Amino acid sequence: MPKWAMAIDLDKCTGCGDCMAACKLENNIAIVDPEQADEGRVMLWMDMMTIYEGEYPNIKVKRIPKPCFHCDNPPCIKVCPVHATYINEEGLVGQIYNRCIGCRYCMAACPYTAKVFNWYEPEWADEFKTCMNPDVSMRMKGVVEKCSFCAHRLLKVKENADVDDRQIADGEYMPACADSCPADAIFFGDLENKESKVYQLSNSPRAFRELENLGTIPKVFYLSERE
Amino acid sequence: MMKYINRNLRDKLIFTAQYLSISLMWVFVIGITLWIINLIYLSVDLKDAPGISIGISLVAIPVFLTLAGILTYVFVGFHSKGKNNFINTPGD
Amino acid sequence: MIEETNKKVELDEALYRPIYETGKGFYLTVGVLLLIIFITLFIYIRQVYYGLGVTGMNQPITWGFYIVNFVFFIGISHAGTLISAILRLSKAEWRRPITRMAEVITAIVLAIGGLHPILDLGRPDRVLEIFTAGRLQSPLLWDVTSITAYFTASTVYLYLPMIPDIAKLRDRGGKMVWFYEFLAWGWYGTEHQKKVLSRAINILMVMVIPIAISVHTVISYIFSMTLQPGWHSTIFGPYFVVGAIFSGIAALLIVMIAFRRFFHLENYLKLIHFRYLGTLLLIMSLLWFYFTFSEYLTGIFGSEPHEMDVIFYKFTGTYAIFFWGMVVCNFLIPVVILAFKKFKTIKGILIASISVVIGMWLERLNIVIPSLANPRMGLETGMYIPSLTEWSLFIGAIAVFVLGYVLFSKFFPIISIWEIEEGRKESVEEVEKRVKSYLPGPANVTE
Repeated sequence: MPKWAMAIDLDKCTGCGDCMAACKLENNIAIVDPEQADEGRVMLWMDMMTIYEGEYPNIKVKRIPKPCFHCDNPPCIKVCPVHATYINEEGLVGQIYNRCIGCRYCMAACPYTAKVFNWYEPEWADEFKTCMNPDVSMRMKGVVEKCSFCAHRLLKVKENADVDDRQIADGEYMPACADSCPADAIFFGDLENKESKVYQLSNSPRAFRELENLGTIPKVFYLSERE
Repeated sequence: MMKYINRNLRDKLIFTAQYLSISLMWVFVIGITLWIINLIYLSVDLKDAPGISIGISLVAIPVFLTLAGILTYVFVGFHSKGKNNFINTPGD
Repeated sequence: MIEETNKKVELDEALYRPIYETGKGFYLTVGVLLLIIFITLFIYIRQVYYGLGVTGMNQPITWGFYIVNFVFFIGISHAGTLISAILRLSKAEWRRPITRMAEVITAIVLAIGGLHPILDLGRPDRVLEIFTAGRLQSPLLWDVTSITAYFTASTVYLYLPMIPDIAKLRDRGGKMVWFYEFLAWGWYGTEHQKKVLSRAINILMVMVIPIAISVHTVISYIFSMTLQPGWHSTIFGPYFVVGAIFSGIAALLIVMIAFRRFFHLENYLKLIHFRYLGTLLLIMSLLWFYFTFSEYLTGIFGSEPHEMDVIFYKFTGTYAIFFWGMVVCNFLIPVVILAFKKFKTIKGILIASISVVIGMWLERLNIVIPSLANPRMGLETGMYIPSLTEWSLFIGAIAVFVLGYVLFSKFFPIISIWEIEEGRKESVEEVEKRVKSYLPGPANVTE
């Protein structure tokens, strides 16, 4: 059983935000108007954390891309009252939009604030409607959504692999953010495959995960020489 | 309007209504029991910590059954000896 | 025989008056309340139509007024059944005029509180999925189960002691006799029926206490079962129960004072009843302060950074006014008023109770919002400004509570008439016998 994980090399990441844009386009995420965005209702499955440290003139800025970490011990699935968020055997934490009742308990329970909510009916500008992704289901108002590691791409890749009767090669299934990163800072692959890039990076001395002490076992590894 | 119905019929109607009310209580309690059992079955099916579901049901279902039982006990207790006095209502 | 009954009935005539006499005040009150409720309903439908965006909630503050009010209303529900069950169990004779008012508070407020999570849902049309696809592992479903159990138990516990009074109303004649006859379940006060009723009430009053305690403990589990700073605390179970009983007694006192004034029940709700409940309120205030102090001392001493973020937000940050307001309302004002006999008048107790109700609402606010507003990993602090929708639904909920109470008092006696009669006839001797049995020496008492 493959276990899908991601590794983000912060020493390569320039903080350009390409991954955020690619994710929004790939997954038909609603565009929120500026007033709503100011109020804290931006919908980003791949978020970019901007952390300032230090005092002027010695300010350090860290730009850290943050998708859903697809934890192996997710706090969000424990609290969902209707099985709308669940973890499957390949380690992907999914969201069933048709079942979510919008109680937002999973959002309150996630220590990484990785989930977003459709506060209004999602809307897109007319230009966008011509380039929506037909592989990704549309969400309606009142449901929670989050990064899915582009699971729709996994389905396609699995179908092709089944037809050809082979295993999925390392690097064949890549989410949109990993595909689009111009600095090649995002790696994605199977942790169970000892030869995959992600497995090797996860064992690198530069690797760390966010808030490991909580025991959520996140599957996104950050690589950085700094703290 | 109730005053003009025959007294016997009126008493029988009211008794039927009371009987219906206690039956509704049982419908409610059995409904809740069935619901909890459905959830236990779901949790076993999905292998989603069935122990907790069973634990909660072991506490919740007896509580509801006891409540319905107490109400039935009161209902039966009131009507068992009082049934004979139905015809002569006080205030005559 | 009939003349004797008539004479006895006249003793408690004041308790029947609200049922048989309907003044202009009643119609005016009901009219205003219905208007508020209709406007609230319209505002809620608007929320369902447009989505939860019409509220002030956002990312990271995904829970707001609806959850605060949910916890608040369910907290007040502990007034009733817990107080009336514990007072009955401890054979406190002064409980007689109070128990029914307390039980009615519980029944109404549980219904309102239990509705609030549904108001909070993004997809209320899917709420039936709790029945088809629910997970009993989720604290929210523990809530559904325990609130349903408590609502059923407290309704039964309200109804059973009401039966003899309903029978009295049936026997007096007048309007809607068939309604009272239906509800009286054939009670005629025979010895057998009395035994059955008292046995049922005795079983219930013991059963209802663990159910009541479980309700607010389980509500606290919604918060304490997550990993969020400020929420993941083992003290939450008892803390919430203490807070609930605290706010419940305060709400009960306000209701008692209101009815005493509007229905002229000075003869039944005497200063001594308020003094005793006021003492209970004082004890709960001290207990509440002890738990709160414990909670924050533990957090500050450990100085875990995320925990300190939340604590500073409450102590000196945006929520300082709400936090210290809560301490003043829950501890300073009630303790000053209730500890000194000079201030412990009915007016003083009213001020203390209103202060506690406001303070406990602030406490719920202080529990829900600050932990959500301070996400980890250096993310920006959130800001929550409740919108008109949320305020309206809050006011609407209070209006539903008042309306429910007013309607109840119109159809049923708000003070338990048969228990007052029983108190007059039997309790004095019974208590004398009991006290004599405690004392040593040549007892001339039949054990």
